Amino acid sequence: MITPFSQKECVAMLLAGGRGTRLEDLTAHVAKPAVAFGGRYRLVDFTLSNCVLSGIDTIGVLTQYLPLFLHDYIGKGQPWNLDLMSGGVFLLPPYEGSSNSDWYSGSANAVYQNRHFIESYNPTYVLVLAGDHIYKMDYSAMLNYHKEVKADCTIAVIEVPLEEASRYGIMRVNTSDRITRFDEKPAKPKSNLASMGIYIFNWQVLKEHLNQDNTEDSSAHDFGRNIIPAILAAKHRMFAYRFQGYWRDVGTLESLWEGNMDILEDPSLGRPDWPIMTRGRNRPPHHIVGEVTNSLVASGCSIRGKVENSVLASGATVEEGAVVRNSILMADSLVQQGATVEYSILDERSVVNAGTTIGTPRVAGTPPTVVPGIWVS
Amino acid sequence: MHVGLCLSDLHPLLYGDGSTSRTAAAVHFGGHYRLIDFTLSNMDNSGIHNVAMVLGSQYQSLINHIGAGRAWDLARSSGGITFFPPYPAGERPFHDIRDEPLQRALVYVERARSNHVLVTDCSSAYNLDFRLPLQQHEASGADVTALYVRQQPLDIDRPHTVAYQLGEEGAITGISANPTIGEEQNISMGAFIVRKDALLRLLANEGSCDVIRFSCSVLAGALKALKVRSWLYEGYYARVSSLETFFHYNMDMLDPRKREPLFNSGGRRINTGVRNSLPTKYGSEAKVRNSIVSNGCLIEGTVENCVIFRDVQVKPGAVVRNSILQRNTLVGSGAELNWIVTDHDVIISAERNLLGHRNHPVYIGIGKVV
Repeated sequence: MITPFSQKECVAMLLAGGRGTRLEDLTAHVAKPAVAFGGRYRLVDFTLSNCVLSGIDTIGVLTQYLPLFLHDYIGKGQPWNLDLMSGGVFLLPPYEGSSNSDWYSGSANAVYQNRHFIESYNPTYVLVLAGDHIYKMDYSAMLNYHKEVKADCTIAVIEVPLEEASRYGIMRVNTSDRITRFDEKPAKPKSNLASMGIYIFNWQVLKEHLNQDNTEDSSAHDFGRNIIPAILAAKHRMFAYRFQGYWRDVGTLESLWEGNMDILEDPSLGRPDWPIMTRGRNRPPHHIVGEVTNSLVASGCSIRGKVENSVLASGATVEEGAVVRNSILMADSLVQQGATVEYSILDERSVVNAGTTIGTPRVAGTPPTVVPGIWVS
Repeated sequence: MHVGLCLSDLHPLLYGDGSTSRTAAAVHFGGHYRLIDFTLSNMDNSGIHNVAMVLGSQYQSLINHIGAGRAWDLARSSGGITFFPPYPAGERPFHDIRDEPLQRALVYVERARSNHVLVTDCSSAYNLDFRLPLQQHEASGADVTALYVRQQPLDIDRPHTVAYQLGEEGAITGISANPTIGEEQNISMGAFIVRKDALLRLLANEGSCDVIRFSCSVLAGALKALKVRSWLYEGYYARVSSLETFFHYNMDMLDPRKREPLFNSGGRRINTGVRNSLPTKYGSEAKVRNSIVSNGCLIEGTVENCVIFRDVQVKPGAVVRNSILQRNTLVGSGAELNWIVTDHDVIISAERNLLGHRNHPVYIGIGKVV
């Protein structure tokens, strides 16, 4: 970003600062968007790739919780073709200002504190995204819809089972999909239209409400709880954009496991029509001496034992006599001789000692066992 | 020493019936590498970040693969990798220009602030920090230090093999091509550390020059005038110069004792351009024994003792043994392959039965449908 700035029609702001406490040990050393997924991806790959494939090349990544690894991973954005002369990817952690300095107190506050970054590209629209969802989506189609209906704010929605609706931001809409009511995580949901955490705002409208929100001490400075209700209350035009297709919030251990198994069942996420890009590691092909069935195996793995229904990331090792079932082995994890691993997630560089048993057969509704990884010695 | 001169491809390899030829540097190796990856990774791992690459013919896939050289930290604002392709000069016709790139590359080498130059081709797979032979080269005050391995020349590799005769203190006293088979000899690695001024003199009158010519003609003629020493490399070394050697050394990669030190020796890794393929998926009926498999494959049949490159599909009921399947090969259901090498984008239809032999693998060319 070297002044004078070029104008961009739409700038994306990616919320990547949260801890993701429900992923427990998996986010003990990295922020949630950097958690590994699908054998060779990290969660943030999906949002970054969607942006680039949708023609959005200016992306601010708002980081706060344990940003070191995430910053290193995204870097200048070369794997996503984001190392550009004009635009690109910008890592935006909290900073010391000349008048006031503060941590990000909420998702809206994080964007508010970086309003100058957005202004520098003088955009008409701002796309606000979560960095931890698994899906393929063309944001340019959503932006076209936003323009067609002359919206001030458009929220991507997906239909969820009513019994799960209380986990989401839930909308009610009129016959033309204009949003009439928005409830963040309602106890008794009256609709099954759930927010995917993907918002397009007219920047002028958002800016005005961010400024207003910043003056309100009682606000949690959160998009779902404060900004969206305020924009709705101000009678701005707010529309729902219905998304058809695969989308999964992998914010819990069980949903992360399920998401990995979805990729195993249908590896279409890697196909070239909408390629999810990632910062890959250079490792030789994997070597299989043992048995592998119904599994995804990345490069650098060495399998001498038995692997079933599992996802193995690069460099995972399963030694002789070991059995791995229904599990996720992250990069460089090691299952030693004769060990048994069932319904578990092995974090990066974790070790299962020889002859031991980890995990128990899956019961839906209970989370998989996690073996913590080794991140720093 | 921070300058490398790559004589990449002045002898394209002939495959199978001879209808397919390929620049040695772009030959595939070990599941998802090309031979050039070893040369460039070794240079990167040795602190050589100024690389002059002399190109001969058929260099398109090589340039596509290397790009700006980012995978080897060669994308630099100064230095990095510089290509020297042939181009028409003045009034001369296009077919008469092959001496141009080498002389232009020598101008590049001359300008580099380095007293010694690594001269190499790109036909071999090994993992070496060139600073080790450089230490000996500098301490001995040699003009040229030639790198070699102790190997029995393979019958199949003789025409491309150069052997050194050594005298006292590792001095090279003779250089011969086509050495006798059956006994261990000092086999040239096609890599040399040369004092810059000596190199410029040696090549001043050379047109096109590959390392075989450099060894057997240029260097052989200067053994008396120059101080030519040798340095023994004791790690794994594979030189690919024919379909047979391609098969032999790729199959070596099934042995972890050879594969593991080749790809990671003391933290020195071999790098290549990383693709976005998914991990390989194994179906519920897959049976895989002793094979190395790259990313992006879908394996639903039986695979034994194979090297499988990226994006290969083996359909249910297919049986592939002792074979090398290169990128995007499809093996239809019920097909059986034994001792076969497919090039990229080959389709083996369902129920086909193809049989080669250990000593004579059958090669199926690019894009062929069986």
